[in-house]
Amino acid sequence: MSEENNETLPLEQPPSNQDTASPVARDSAPSEGKAWGVAIAGWLLPGLGHALQRMWGRALVVFLTVGLLVIVGASMRGNLFTSDGSDAFDTLGYVADLGAGSFYFLARTVERGGADVSHAGGDYGTRFLATAGVLNLLAALHAYEAARGRKA
Amino acid sequence: MIPSLALTHIQAFLLFAAVISLAFGFLGRRRPKDRVKYILWSFFLFLLIGIGIGWAMYPFSR
Repeated sequence: MSEENNETLPLEQPPSNQDTASPVARDSAPSEGKAWGVAIAGWLLPGLGHALQRMWGRALVVFLTVGLLVIVGASMRGNLFTSDGSDAFDTLGYVADLGAGSFYFLARTVERGGADVSHAGGDYGTRFLATAGVLNLLAALHAYEAARGRKA
Repeated sequence: MIPSLALTHIQAFLLFAAVISLAFGFLGRRRPKDRVKYILWSFFLFLLIGIGIGWAMYPFSR
Protein backbone atom coordinates (compact mmCIF):
# COMPACT_ATOMS: atom_id res chain seq x y z
CA MET A 1 0.00 0.00 0.00
CA SER A 2 2.71 2.47 0.98
CA GLU A 3 4.76 1.44 -2.01
CA GLU A 4 1.85 2.26 -4.29
CA ASN A 5 1.55 5.65 -2.67
CA ASN A 6 5.23 6.33 -3.17
CA GLU A 7 4.91 5.53 -6.84
CA THR A 8 1.94 7.76 -7.42
CA LEU A 9 2.84 10.58 -5.07
CA PRO A 10 4.99 12.69 -7.43
CA LEU A 11 2.19 12.80 -10.01
CA GLU A 12 -0.38 13.90 -7.42
CA GLN A 13 1.63 16.57 -5.66
CA PRO A 14 0.29 20.10 -6.21
CA PRO A 15 2.65 22.86 -7.36
CA SER A 16 4.79 24.13 -4.53
CA ASN A 17 4.27 27.77 -5.43
CA GLN A 18 1.31 29.09 -3.42
CA ASP A 19 0.56 31.81 -5.96
CA THR A 20 -0.42 29.18 -8.49
CA ALA A 21 -2.88 27.43 -6.15
CA SER A 22 -6.40 27.44 -7.55
CA PRO A 23 -9.17 29.43 -5.81
CA VAL A 24 -11.01 26.17 -5.18
CA ALA A 25 -8.05 24.78 -3.28
CA ARG A 26 -7.79 27.92 -1.18
CA ASP A 27 -11.52 27.87 -0.40
CA SER A 28 -11.41 24.25 0.74
CA ALA A 29 -8.71 24.93 3.34
CA PRO A 30 -9.78 23.67 6.77
CA SER A 31 -11.42 26.31 8.95
CA GLU A 32 -10.58 26.49 12.63
CA GLY A 33 -14.03 27.84 13.45
CA LYS A 34 -15.74 25.06 11.59
CA ALA A 35 -13.56 22.50 13.34
CA TRP A 36 -14.57 23.87 16.75
CA GLY A 37 -18.21 23.79 15.68
CA VAL A 38 -17.87 20.17 14.68
CA ALA A 39 -16.19 19.32 18.00
CA ILE A 40 -18.90 21.03 20.05
CA ALA A 41 -21.62 19.36 17.99
CA GLY A 42 -19.95 16.00 18.54
CA TRP A 43 -19.81 16.64 22.27
CA LEU A 44 -23.44 17.75 22.52
CA LEU A 45 -24.80 14.79 20.56
CA PRO A 46 -22.45 11.80 20.29
CA GLY A 47 -21.66 11.07 16.64
CA LEU A 48 -22.93 14.38 15.28
CA GLY A 49 -19.41 15.70 14.73
CA HIS A 50 -18.68 12.82 12.39
CA ALA A 51 -22.12 12.92 10.78
CA LEU A 52 -21.56 16.56 9.80
CA GLN A 53 -18.49 15.38 7.89
CA ARG A 54 -20.39 12.51 6.28
CA MET A 55 -18.46 9.90 8.23
CA TRP A 56 -21.61 7.85 8.67
CA GLY A 57 -20.06 4.64 10.00
CA ARG A 58 -18.09 6.39 12.68
CA ALA A 59 -21.05 8.60 13.58
CA LEU A 60 -23.31 5.58 14.03
CA VAL A 61 -20.78 3.64 16.08
CA VAL A 62 -20.01 6.60 18.36
CA PHE A 63 -23.73 7.24 18.89
CA LEU A 64 -24.48 3.59 19.65
CA THR A 65 -21.47 2.86 21.85
CA VAL A 66 -21.80 6.02 23.96
CA GLY A 67 -25.55 5.50 24.18
CA LEU A 68 -25.17 1.85 25.17
CA LEU A 69 -22.63 2.68 27.85
CA VAL A 70 -24.91 5.35 29.30
CA ILE A 71 -27.98 3.10 29.25
CA VAL A 72 -26.15 0.16 30.82
CA GLY A 73 -24.46 2.40 33.38
CA ALA A 74 -27.76 3.99 34.39
CA SER A 75 -29.49 0.60 34.44
CA MET A 76 -26.84 -0.71 36.82
CA ARG A 77 -27.57 2.31 39.03
CA GLY A 78 -24.18 3.87 38.58
CA ASN A 79 -23.39 7.19 40.18
CA LEU A 80 -23.91 10.26 38.02
CA PHE A 81 -21.76 12.97 39.54
CA THR A 82 -23.04 16.51 39.87
CA SER A 83 -21.33 19.88 39.99
CA ASP A 84 -21.61 20.10 43.79
CA GLY A 85 -19.03 17.41 44.48
CA SER A 86 -17.26 17.38 47.82
CA ASP A 87 -13.75 16.50 46.64
CA ALA A 88 -11.48 16.37 43.60
CA PHE A 89 -12.58 12.86 42.65
CA ASP A 90 -16.20 13.96 42.51
CA THR A 91 -15.18 16.88 40.30
CA LEU A 92 -13.21 14.58 38.00
CA GLY A 93 -16.16 12.21 37.86
CA TYR A 94 -18.44 15.11 36.98
CA VAL A 95 -16.14 16.21 34.15
CA ALA A 96 -15.99 12.65 32.83
CA ASP A 97 -19.75 12.18 33.04
CA LEU A 98 -20.41 15.55 31.43
CA GLY A 99 -18.33 14.42 28.46
CA ALA A 100 -21.35 12.45 27.27
CA GLY A 101 -23.05 15.76 26.41
CA SER A 102 -26.81 15.54 26.11
CA PHE A 103 -26.70 11.87 27.13
CA TYR A 104 -25.57 12.95 30.60
CA PHE A 105 -28.76 14.91 31.11
CA LEU A 106 -30.77 12.09 29.55
CA ALA A 107 -29.24 9.64 32.02
CA ARG A 108 -30.09 11.93 34.93
CA THR A 109 -33.67 11.98 33.70
CA VAL A 110 -34.14 8.24 33.23
CA GLU A 111 -32.13 6.88 36.13
CA ARG A 112 -34.68 5.41 38.47
CA GLY A 113 -34.15 5.56 42.21
CA GLY A 114 -30.75 7.24 42.06
CA ALA A 115 -27.35 5.61 42.37
CA ASP A 116 -26.64 2.49 44.40
CA VAL A 117 -22.93 1.82 44.70
CA SER A 118 -23.29 -0.43 47.72
CA HIS A 119 -23.04 -3.37 45.30
CA ALA A 120 -20.39 -4.08 42.69
CA GLY A 121 -22.95 -3.60 39.92
CA GLY A 122 -23.54 0.02 40.88
CA ASP A 123 -19.82 0.66 40.98
CA TYR A 124 -19.44 -0.87 37.52
CA GLY A 125 -22.27 1.34 36.35
CA THR A 126 -20.36 4.39 37.57
CA ARG A 127 -17.37 3.31 35.44
CA PHE A 128 -19.62 2.72 32.42
CA LEU A 129 -21.03 6.23 32.71
CA ALA A 130 -17.61 7.83 33.10
CA THR A 131 -16.26 5.80 30.17
CA ALA A 132 -19.16 6.95 27.99
CA GLY A 133 -18.21 10.56 28.68
CA VAL A 134 -14.51 10.11 28.08
CA LEU A 135 -15.15 8.09 24.92
CA ASN A 136 -17.40 10.84 23.60
CA LEU A 137 -14.73 13.44 24.31
CA LEU A 138 -12.25 11.29 22.39
CA ALA A 139 -14.68 11.04 19.48
CA ALA A 140 -15.24 14.82 19.52
CA LEU A 141 -11.48 15.36 19.44
CA HIS A 142 -11.25 12.93 16.53
CA ALA A 143 -13.96 14.81 14.66
CA TYR A 144 -12.16 18.08 15.36
CA GLU A 145 -8.91 16.75 13.94
CA ALA A 146 -10.70 15.40 10.88
CA ALA A 147 -12.37 18.79 10.32
CA ARG A 148 -8.96 20.47 10.46
CA GLY A 149 -7.81 18.23 7.64
CA ARG A 150 -5.63 15.96 9.71
CA LYS A 151 -5.54 12.34 8.66
CA ALA A 152 -8.24 10.55 10.62
CA MET B 1 -38.14 4.75 33.81
CA ILE B 2 -35.18 2.57 32.95
CA PRO B 3 -35.20 -1.12 33.91
CA SER B 4 -32.71 -2.30 36.46
CA LEU B 5 -29.88 -4.39 35.07
CA ALA B 6 -27.81 -6.87 37.05
CA LEU B 7 -24.70 -8.09 35.26
CA THR B 8 -22.13 -10.44 36.67
CA HIS B 9 -18.51 -9.37 36.85
CA ILE B 10 -17.55 -11.28 33.72
CA GLN B 11 -20.59 -10.07 31.77
CA ALA B 12 -19.81 -6.44 32.58
CA PHE B 13 -16.17 -7.04 31.73
CA LEU B 14 -16.96 -8.63 28.35
CA LEU B 15 -19.53 -5.97 27.46
CA PHE B 16 -17.13 -3.17 28.35
CA ALA B 17 -14.29 -4.73 26.34
CA ALA B 18 -16.50 -5.34 23.30
CA VAL B 19 -18.01 -1.85 23.22
CA ILE B 20 -14.74 -0.01 23.71
CA SER B 21 -12.92 -2.20 21.18
CA LEU B 22 -15.64 -1.49 18.62
CA ALA B 23 -15.36 2.27 19.16
CA PHE B 24 -11.56 2.22 19.06
CA GLY B 25 -11.60 0.17 15.87
CA PHE B 26 -13.89 2.58 14.04
CA LEU B 27 -12.11 5.70 15.29
CA GLY B 28 -8.59 4.39 14.84
CA ARG B 29 -8.76 2.68 11.48
CA ARG B 30 -10.35 3.53 8.15
CA ARG B 31 -10.37 0.37 6.04
CA PRO B 32 -12.90 -2.33 7.05
CA LYS B 33 -10.29 -5.08 7.12
CA ASP B 34 -8.01 -3.01 9.36
CA ARG B 35 -10.94 -2.19 11.60
CA VAL B 36 -11.84 -5.84 12.12
CA LYS B 37 -8.24 -6.73 12.91
CA TYR B 38 -7.94 -3.81 15.32
CA ILE B 39 -11.23 -4.61 17.07
CA LEU B 40 -10.30 -8.26 17.57
CA TRP B 41 -6.80 -7.41 18.75
CA SER B 42 -8.04 -4.75 21.15
CA PHE B 43 -10.72 -7.09 22.52
CA PHE B 44 -8.15 -9.82 23.04
CA LEU B 45 -5.81 -7.44 24.87
CA PHE B 46 -8.66 -6.22 27.09
CA LEU B 47 -9.36 -9.82 28.09
CA LEU B 48 -5.70 -10.71 28.55
CA ILE B 49 -4.84 -7.67 30.65
CA GLY B 50 -8.09 -7.73 32.65
CA ILE B 51 -7.78 -11.39 33.56
CA GLY B 52 -4.05 -10.93 34.15
CA ILE B 53 -4.67 -8.10 36.61
CA GLY B 54 -7.35 -10.23 38.27
CA TRP B 55 -4.92 -13.07 38.80
CA ALA B 56 -2.20 -10.68 39.97
CA MET B 57 -4.56 -9.34 42.66
CA TYR B 58 -5.71 -12.79 43.76
CA PRO B 59 -3.06 -13.25 46.53
CA PHE B 60 -4.22 -9.99 48.15
CA SER B 61 -7.93 -10.76 47.99
CA ARG B 62 -8.13 -12.53 51.34
